[in-house]
Amino acid sequence: MSATRDPSRLWTGIASVVAVVGLWIVGSRTGFIDRQVFPSPPEFLAAARQLLIGEGYAEGRIHEHILQSVKLILMGFFAATAVGVPLGLWMGWSRRAEALINPIFLLIRPIPALAWIPLAIVWLGLDDAAKVMILWFAAFVPSVINSYTGVRGIETPIIEASRMLGVRGWSLVKDVIVPGALPSIFTGLRLSLQGCLTALVAAELLGALLGMGKVLYQAGLDIYPAMILAGMVAVALVGFGLTAVLDFVERRSMPWRRSH
Amino acid sequence: MANIVLDNVSRSFRRDGKEFLALDRVSFVCNEHEFVAVVGPSGCGKTTCMRMAAGLDFPGSGSVKVGGKVVKAPGPDRAVVFQQFALFPWKTVYENIEFGLRSLGVGRDEAADRIARNLKLMNLEGYESAYPHQLSGGMQQRVAIARAYVLNPDVLLMDEPFGALDAQTRTVMQEELLRVGRANPRTVMFITHAVDEAVYLADRVVVMTRRPGTIMQIVDVKPVRDAEDWQKYERIEDVMDLESFVHLRTRIWRLLREQHQPGDH
Amino acid sequence: MGDKLKRAELMWLSLAGLLIFFGVWTFAAWVELAPRKFLPLPSQVVERGIELLTQPFSGQTLQGHLAVSIERYLSGFLLAAAVGVPLGLLMGWYRWLDNVITPLFDSLRFIAPIAWVPFAALWFGTGIGGPMMIIFAGAFAPCLINAYRGARFVDPKYIEAAQVYGASGPRIVYEVLLPASLPSIIAGLRISAGAGWQSLIGAELIAANSGVGLMMVRAQGALDTSIVMVGMVAVGVFGMLVDVALRGIEKRVQRKRGH
Repeated sequence: MSATRDPSRLWTGIASVVAVVGLWIVGSRTGFIDRQVFPSPPEFLAAARQLLIGEGYAEGRIHEHILQSVKLILMGFFAATAVGVPLGLWMGWSRRAEALINPIFLLIRPIPALAWIPLAIVWLGLDDAAKVMILWFAAFVPSVINSYTGVRGIETPIIEASRMLGVRGWSLVKDVIVPGALPSIFTGLRLSLQGCLTALVAAELLGALLGMGKVLYQAGLDIYPAMILAGMVAVALVGFGLTAVLDFVERRSMPWRRSH
Repeated sequence: MANIVLDNVSRSFRRDGKEFLALDRVSFVCNEHEFVAVVGPSGCGKTTCMRMAAGLDFPGSGSVKVGGKVVKAPGPDRAVVFQQFALFPWKTVYENIEFGLRSLGVGRDEAADRIARNLKLMNLEGYESAYPHQLSGGMQQRVAIARAYVLNPDVLLMDEPFGALDAQTRTVMQEELLRVGRANPRTVMFITHAVDEAVYLADRVVVMTRRPGTIMQIVDVKPVRDAEDWQKYERIEDVMDLESFVHLRTRIWRLLREQHQPGDH
Repeated sequence: MGDKLKRAELMWLSLAGLLIFFGVWTFAAWVELAPRKFLPLPSQVVERGIELLTQPFSGQTLQGHLAVSIERYLSGFLLAAAVGVPLGLLMGWYRWLDNVITPLFDSLRFIAPIAWVPFAALWFGTGIGGPMMIIFAGAFAPCLINAYRGARFVDPKYIEAAQVYGASGPRIVYEVLLPASLPSIIAGLRISAGAGWQSLIGAELIAANSGVGLMMVRAQGALDTSIVMVGMVAVGVFGMLVDVALRGIEKRVQRKRGH
């Protein structure tokens, strides 16, 4: 559903968003939207300002919260994909490995990442280690599955050709398997990233010192709707930013692929 | 009056940023109850002519009229038989044929009646509940023809309807089409690149040039067919053996050949 | 890729994998690598789970909590599908609708569903509306996107045939776009089923007074690791059942279409 090059579409889009914002302003002004239920635009802007450049909220300014959240996401993400992608590639390549590991994987796979939170807290308490554990599980499963699919999806003629050409070992992995599976791997990475974002916000909502989830939690506790909204916008922006970085890396690493 | 009139029709397309002329001031007529075949090399725009009569495409200049009225949109009065059949895979044979009848608001009982008759006509009895993927190509196209016929349309537009079929099935379908057409004559515009097919089926053959498409010549077949009484021959191969047939076919073939110079693709 | 394994080898390797997993777990628990409190034996988890069927924990038995969770889940999921699928189809046909809604959708898309919890708690308290809203936030997008894509990428020849044979707007959406998009829609439902279930559990972990999520959080507070694990298993099993059911439906539709 990305915007096409059609300019009229862009204008309708802008008009649409402007209309909704307009309704928000009017609804708030006239009292139609109860300020205790949803903040008015000025309240929202004040909260955002406080978070950005003011005294901060929930023990920090926005950049401190974002830094904390992003730090944990990156730790969990990289730790999980560093294990998950090679594992998935291996399972895709070796039927033996698949047979051995799949049963364990099938036990773990149906458990959603958020369901690991209580266990992580029991084992590791309420600080960063527990969160990284949760993020690890959130990122692990999609990266394994999609790497596996990526390898399996490499057309047989390509495999046979590389065999015939005597490509083996590390070169086989580097020059045939990984590039062939790369699009699928990136799909997995994207899902892993989204999973991490969701899992982290959830974990921080349950207990944290800093982080965007903490902002949301505190705002909920204080019944401060304007700050809730500000926190949600922050979450959206971070999600958008991280995804954009991943997309950039993806485009750069696969110059042979035409995007649609 | 159900006739098709293309009057000075031009159409250009834009592809890869460049504009090119597909049809250049094309004019011809399909009179009422006349079977007109349109032949020409690939890309000459013959399918575009049919699509404009159907209302699936529109001329850049000039006009396309059916029954005296400018064509503005597709509709069941100009039934189309597509080359790719375009049957709905999720509907049964019966439901596919019924589709247009429901658009016309025909009552359940009358619809059942008409569908049964057309199933018989196209040798599809017993297949009412089958799905398209369970049928062969020939049978699917029969369903597509039945879907058009059941509406009793004034105008029938056929876009290389037998192009996707194998040679044997194609001859059977051609014979059937002729037989059915004699029983229920209607105005037909039939697009094909097979000259044999055109001469066998049509009253007149419109020969188009390659792109930009114009009318090269219009060949009258009906007078020859009536004079030589092709009708008395049951089988296609007997008709195609006749000298009068061969003569017409060669004539059209030469017209098409004239357009190819050495070096053309 | 290696050639397919013989049946026997496949079986033995799979068995070996499972045995290694449970073996390592049992061993680690047996020698108390961590106190039993934190690392129970697999058998202990099973025992505790059976206990929970008759003895309530945090207000309900296991089935009681599950029933509450499932009820919330189905309400939220069905709502998301009932709104998302038709809307996606309509957006696939009516350009103006697409142009109006897509930008709004795109701006909300990046908000992780769980981030709606504070507002949900604020607006609905402990009523079912809260969880339903979170589930909706998680399950809505895949339903909408897949229905939309299905409708947009329908083979044009079906639309042309429908138009030639007299169908217009609503009939085209219902008789052509919907059946043509069905495989895409079902694929979307599978994704949204998973997303919705996870959203529900998340919501119950944070702001609920019943349900499997709540059960797990209370067990965590009481350091009853076995119950936490029972909860994880229950959550996993239900999610899997739903996915298997939807995959079955997907296969049936494919077979009917002759794929």
